[in-house]
Amino acid sequence: MKTRPWQDRLGDVGRYGLLALLALLFLIPFYLILRNAFMTDAQITSFHWSWLPLPPHGENFQQLFKDPAAPLLTGLENSAIIAITTLVLQMLFSSMAGYALARIPARGRSVVFFLIVATLMIPGAVTFVPTYAVMAYLGGVNTRWGIIAPGLFSAFSTFLFRQFYLGFPAEIEEAGQLDGLGYFGIYWHLLVPNSTSVLMSLGVLTFIGSWNSFLWPLVIGQDPSSWTVQVVLSTFLTAQTLELAHLFAAAAIGILPLVIVFLLMQRYIVEGAKFSGGK
Amino acid sequence: MLTGCGRSPNGSGGRVTLTHWYHQYGETGTQDAVVRYAQEYTKLHPDVDVQVVWVPGDYHTKLATALLTSGGPDIFESQLSVPMVTAEQVVPLDDLFTPETRRDFSERDLASNSVNGKIYGIKMLDDTGVLYYRKSLLDTAGLQPPTTMDGLIDAAKKLTSSTRKGLFLGNDGGISALLTIGPWSAGSDFLVGDKIVFDNPRTVAFYDKLRALNDAGALLIGAPTDWWDPSALTQGLTVMQWGGLWAFPAIHKALGDDVGGMGWPAFDEGGKPVTFLGGWSAMVNAQSRHIEEAKRYVKWLWIDNKKIQQDWCLSYGFHVPPRISAARSAAPLRAPLPALAMKNLEVYGRFLPPAWNSAMNTALTDAVTNILKQGRPAADEIHAAAKKCERELKRLLE
Amino acid sequence: MQSTDTHLNANHARKFSRRERSATLAFWAFVAPMVIGLTVFTLIPIVWGFLLSLSHAQNTIHVGHFIGLANYQDLLTDEQFLRSLWTVVIFALFIVPLTYVVSLSLALLVNRVGWGRPFFRTVFFLPSAVSYVVASLIWRVSLFNGLPFGFANKVISAFGVGPIAWIGTVNPPWYWLVLVTARLWLQVGFYMIIFLAGLQEIPRSVYEAAAVDGADRGWAVLRHITLPQLRNTSISVLLLNLIAAFQAFDEFYNILGGSGASVGNTALARPPLVYLYGLALSDQDFGRGTAGAFILTMLIFAVTLIQGRILGFGQAD
Repeated sequence: MKTRPWQDRLGDVGRYGLLALLALLFLIPFYLILRNAFMTDAQITSFHWSWLPLPPHGENFQQLFKDPAAPLLTGLENSAIIAITTLVLQMLFSSMAGYALARIPARGRSVVFFLIVATLMIPGAVTFVPTYAVMAYLGGVNTRWGIIAPGLFSAFSTFLFRQFYLGFPAEIEEAGQLDGLGYFGIYWHLLVPNSTSVLMSLGVLTFIGSWNSFLWPLVIGQDPSSWTVQVVLSTFLTAQTLELAHLFAAAAIGILPLVIVFLLMQRYIVEGAKFSGGK
Repeated sequence: MLTGCGRSPNGSGGRVTLTHWYHQYGETGTQDAVVRYAQEYTKLHPDVDVQVVWVPGDYHTKLATALLTSGGPDIFESQLSVPMVTAEQVVPLDDLFTPETRRDFSERDLASNSVNGKIYGIKMLDDTGVLYYRKSLLDTAGLQPPTTMDGLIDAAKKLTSSTRKGLFLGNDGGISALLTIGPWSAGSDFLVGDKIVFDNPRTVAFYDKLRALNDAGALLIGAPTDWWDPSALTQGLTVMQWGGLWAFPAIHKALGDDVGGMGWPAFDEGGKPVTFLGGWSAMVNAQSRHIEEAKRYVKWLWIDNKKIQQDWCLSYGFHVPPRISAARSAAPLRAPLPALAMKNLEVYGRFLPPAWNSAMNTALTDAVTNILKQGRPAADEIHAAAKKCERELKRLLE
Repeated sequence: MQSTDTHLNANHARKFSRRERSATLAFWAFVAPMVIGLTVFTLIPIVWGFLLSLSHAQNTIHVGHFIGLANYQDLLTDEQFLRSLWTVVIFALFIVPLTYVVSLSLALLVNRVGWGRPFFRTVFFLPSAVSYVVASLIWRVSLFNGLPFGFANKVISAFGVGPIAWIGTVNPPWYWLVLVTARLWLQVGFYMIIFLAGLQEIPRSVYEAAAVDGADRGWAVLRHITLPQLRNTSISVLLLNLIAAFQAFDEFYNILGGSGASVGNTALARPPLVYLYGLALSDQDFGRGTAGAFILTMLIFAVTLIQGRILGFGQAD
């Protein structure tokens, strides 16, 4: 390594300074959620600003888990099952489709691609009610698979997988063909292992999307035993009594699993995007 | 848990399960209460089970979607609209009343649930608005509770200090809270029969005055909670607040006797005080497979059973029981402020008819926003909104 | 990317038809789950929605009472709907370039630092975990509430500026600041990740060649190497971001109105989906509701085409 000129070091200081400032800005809302989660309603709406919730009101969390009208544990469990199923199957289906769209020359390919981009452009508002009617016809109302099924098929993920596989080096594929791999072999043994970055970043995003979805689980589910964490969260938002402290505490609990997933996965996100070793 | 198990048509002989949907009421104990009522009914009618579904979040969307398919609830609560009747989503309930019980409901509660002379909803609770004020702070400022809009603006200005605003009407400056209350207080109206009638100088005069109030710097804007929540008043952010009678227990708990209440003041000598009539009504889904059972249950629950009405309205939150006799005999409503609010409701209560829909509301809201926030001429905006409402009404009634 | 594809195609043209058939078979096998799923849960509903848009469908989703293009005609002469289209165009003009610049800058910054990179990456990506409902709540209740104890007002008070009612003020329209910052905070992290992945795909040799050619670090490299190499990534980011912007709903609905707020402020900035939500779900006029959504789709389609012309989206295919 060359010794770095002083301009570079100065640049580093500037970059770190800027990054630190931005990081601080990005963390403010998280700080506010936590601050409010440990306050009483009166403190949150109080005229006097306080930086820290002193004394901290941890009982907000205890009350949350005890509240029979808002089954938070059940909600977390339901959300986890739904989000994990969605994550696995959506990644599988959309990477398969993305691979085929990018790499398998076949009749009808551009039609399928056009349809996928078109569904991307049509707002979910058009399809919401008809999708419910389709689901009612299929008998999915009030079932768990009814909540999950529509989320498994994502034009968004398919589009991104296709874009990603378009840029995949042809040599790897050709090497696979010489080794006698068919389309499935190439997909499974060469492309999937080399798509960690996309799989991880899209996977995390899918997980989040599923975890945070609200209206569909609400409309399909009926019994409190089927409520997801977002539906439980909405119970604190009802008219006539706005329980801000409980709402923020519940929001903090709802975000926490995602933060954990992030911290666990962040190593794989992006860094996996090196397929130099794949040759 | 799946619903709708009863197979036999109209339940002759077989066991019937009725599904009953409620939106989530905020008050603690309400959910247990409705489950208890349902169980009580099953005890009296062993062949009928009632499954209560308690819906948090966006109840209206969930209900609207479910009513479009055959999988909706048998009984639900809502506010009646004309298309619900024309699309045959609800059944008439006139035959559930005896002449005596019918007389015990106010004309307003029946009319707000009627289309073309037929009743489609049974009122479960009445809500009404109150202009709350801190007595001690008005006294200190040497003010009497205002009786006109000018008096109110004047009082709001005088009550405003560096740490506290004079009046809170919601974070939009009163646009939604006073959208219809205001013109009513000036003697105007919105929809009478099949005519849009708000395009008149009195409506314009009120909204102009509301703009003056907004420009006076005496309104609390940007509070963490909105007008229907008592926090702004109880936290001392404002001296006066337009709110609901439902907030009275929380306000009383926080401020004790240092709180007075009144209806929305008359606009001027030519107007009159006013308050709103709100609340929820029970309806029977026309696609239910057990319409007769559902009707009988609704009759037992929301017409005949005065004790349940009192329990439902007053044991958890604070609402007025729709049956006049039940409201009059309820102890909590005899305290001075609630008694006054109830009397105001009887004398001045107003509601929007079932033909008024959200498209009309949006058109009017936009017009008032333009008047208040963009300073556009009120007469032009109101005229344009009335034209749009007429088109919407024509669509609705065709 | 383009060369790979044509290369494969050229190869493939020389193979005999059995291989072509097997390719077609493999293609359909791979896309089958997606195509079936999208057909059942998206395409059929879209077609249904389209038929509804040609129907008088009040409080019903039964197709049959056809009224031609009356719903479309009604909306295209509806001043409120036209204004909502205008609102969303302005919003997109703000949010799309801003998101692009901010997320690319973050990616470039994060990519340049060694120590602490995972930390910064995580911090910027973290907001993606938050739902619009929760973010809107923080923005409205704590960050931008209009009282002296709101966070933003607390901060500006340190500079001697008095409290501002951020959401209700129209002169100047501070509510745009509230809306745009909410979306920026929520989405730049994800696009930053896409850019980071793109940056790491740029072969080191390209930079080395540039260094030999005497290209300096900084702007020259960014303009002549990094940005052209990121072209495909940029196209994806812009396309997705643009579509998302035109479909804006949540922050407008939840910050300006929604659960727990007076709806009066929604009139300040109402994008099409909020207006159509009122038509379709509050008033249950599914004919006009879906017609409006199709008009919006056309607009998105047109804008995407224009953007594609400018950036050459079609060529990437």
